[in-house]
Amino acid sequence: MSLTIALAGNPNCGKTTLFNALTGSNQFVGNWPGVTVEKKEGRLKGHKDIIITDLPGIYSLSPYTLEEVVARNYLLNANPDAILNIVDGTNLERNLYLSTQLMELGIPVVMAVNMMDIVEKKGDQVHIQELEKNLGCPVLEISALKGTNVMKAAEKAIQVAHAKRSVPIHKFDAEVEETLEQIEEQLTGVAKEQRRFFAIKLFERDDKIGEQLSFSVDVENLITKLEDKMDDDSESIITNERYTYISSIIEKCCTRNSKGKLTVSDKIDQIVTNRFLALPIFAVIMGFVYYISISTVGTMATDWTNDVLFGEIVPNAVDNFLNAINCADWLASLIQDGIIAGVGAVLGFVPQMLVLFFFLAILESCGYMARIAFIMDRIFRKFGLSGKSFIPMLIGTGCGVPGVMASRTIENDRDRKMTIMTTTFIPCSAKLPIIALIAGALFQGAWWVAPSAYFVGVAAIIISGIILKKTQMFSGDPAPFVMELPAYHMPTVSNVLRSMWERGWSFIKKAGTIILLSSILVWFTSNVGIVDGHIGMVSDLSDGFLAKIGSGIAWIFAPLGWGDWKAAVAALTGLVAKENVVQTFGVLFGFLEVAEDGQDYWGTLASSYTPLAAYSFLVFNLLCAPCFAAIGAIRREMNNGKWTWFAIGYQCVFAYAVSLCIYQIGTLMTGGGFGVFTAVAFAVLAFIIYMLVRPYKQAHTLRVNIKSVKS
Amino acid sequence: MIAWFIGNSGTIFVSIVLLLLVFFIIRHMIKERKSGKGGCGSGCSGCANSGMCHGHNHS
Repeated sequence: MSLTIALAGNPNCGKTTLFNALTGSNQFVGNWPGVTVEKKEGRLKGHKDIIITDLPGIYSLSPYTLEEVVARNYLLNANPDAILNIVDGTNLERNLYLSTQLMELGIPVVMAVNMMDIVEKKGDQVHIQELEKNLGCPVLEISALKGTNVMKAAEKAIQVAHAKRSVPIHKFDAEVEETLEQIEEQLTGVAKEQRRFFAIKLFERDDKIGEQLSFSVDVENLITKLEDKMDDDSESIITNERYTYISSIIEKCCTRNSKGKLTVSDKIDQIVTNRFLALPIFAVIMGFVYYISISTVGTMATDWTNDVLFGEIVPNAVDNFLNAINCADWLASLIQDGIIAGVGAVLGFVPQMLVLFFFLAILESCGYMARIAFIMDRIFRKFGLSGKSFIPMLIGTGCGVPGVMASRTIENDRDRKMTIMTTTFIPCSAKLPIIALIAGALFQGAWWVAPSAYFVGVAAIIISGIILKKTQMFSGDPAPFVMELPAYHMPTVSNVLRSMWERGWSFIKKAGTIILLSSILVWFTSNVGIVDGHIGMVSDLSDGFLAKIGSGIAWIFAPLGWGDWKAAVAALTGLVAKENVVQTFGVLFGFLEVAEDGQDYWGTLASSYTPLAAYSFLVFNLLCAPCFAAIGAIRREMNNGKWTWFAIGYQCVFAYAVSLCIYQIGTLMTGGGFGVFTAVAFAVLAFIIYMLVRPYKQAHTLRVNIKSVKS
Repeated sequence: MIAWFIGNSGTIFVSIVLLLLVFFIIRHMIKERKSGKGGCGSGCSGCANSGMCHGHNHS
């Protein structure tokens, strides 16, 4: 018989690590709360009939956050056969708050106390047998990270699921119990084992629970009567009762020797989250990560990949093969100058990406990334965004699509829309080849280019946040941001390598599919044109169809310093996938060609643009509309066509304005002349500064289109 | 005709391989899109929010 076991627990208590250990899955594990937003399913290793469901981390079964709603609806509607409640042993008291609620659902519960190694290290003790006796459910010690006892916990859950043994329910104060019993009497249409949970939620005036009932109940009199008697609101009464119960058992179940002592994590946090040191430390760490990845270790491997693998080994082997089978010149050119040049130009940056992913995986799993959200909250709050907006941006460093989707956890609609609009400013992995190409070809691998690209993204988010918050659409106080900082721990080599490989492999797969198709398309459209009144192969790329299309839009980018058709086309193809910018350059600038004067691909690129124009190009491509996949995600999350167009329009205009200022003002400062566009750039800069310093305008009225409101 | 085929056999062979490659890539992309994986650059197994894509797709 098939059984379903739900994994439930507080955020960041190790549910997904346990899920991976039980199912052999490879789900993303992040050492910051809120990594799992939707439930995930897998089959227990060695038991194909046992389904394990990983639920998002929650603190309670109240309906205040998306995660809570997802978890609660699943537990109530899907009715799993057992709940494996993962509890963080280092914070037992707070974790038991959720456990008391899970036990009211009428579903058999097994408790797995995780992170016992940290408990022991701190010198504390959790008395498992005492806990088991007081709670009335099986309790086990596990270490999800090391895999200790994880299968035992699953087997115990199977056992209680078969026995259908639900947990004895703890009792509240006699007066509260009396009221709950009276409410339960009205719930005859609810399954007997769920009545207690429904009664408590109705007592707490939980609207969503009321909506789930197919019949109406009137319990308001009962609630008001008890509220008056206890001089408190119903929700607080239940919360107090729960903590009274937890306090009554915690003394017996837990011995704390470390009370009042600072842990290693606390000591580290005193420095890295320090009011004055936090930001410089963050800047140094991220700067170091990008510098090492793009300019040092990564570059050595990338140079070999570009110069030897895709510069000699692959082209020579393919050339020999094509010559041997007497392949036509045009087809050989398509393969060499189109596919190998395009795909090779992108794949050449894989080593740099792997190094970056390696460092990001370390920062994520050791717990530092969670601190960044905490640090950024201080800055974000000053201009009206909460640190919660930084979580999507954190995820966005991998790919903008999940980054945009992660904004779903932001309850405040204005903040959520603003986060969606700005998340893709953070350089995703697809933009990394553009950064590496510009840094290597135009700036001779200067150390500051890659870190500056990351900080341009962060600055764009902050500036956009300040500007947008001052408009009527987005004004208002930021939502409160409460986040639990996880304890620091040493990342495991396997987790870091797996995370690095997962992301790297996705990038390689993308190069073999969408980038390869784009290379063929770019080669055809650039090599085919009108020759003597007929469609045919052109001898000069500037006569091809692509050059005509590029020239038609290139004038738009002329004020940004890169008004030639090749750069315009590259920016345009970047909409399909950002790697296409590099692929297009590879095809159009001859990745495999070496000019008569010995100049290679990077040399040709460097002689085509000034460093200022190249930096303006880089900034434009970092900030402008993301790829189609991310635009699709924005459309889904905005759930509104107009808002999607507004977001895309804002990103493009903002990118254009910043690039214009960089190129025009930069040109003036480096000895260039003062032209019309320099004046425009100063006007744009003045407008941005005005928007940054002008006081906030609070919206006092809410305009509603009455016609669209249902009577 | 046969002589032409023999003379251009290399080109025909490479063209067929290339067309097949393009066909399989497009088919793979359509399949991925239908299963809710389309387009994203981070891969589902390594994604914290893959459930969202698939949930959206099923709905």
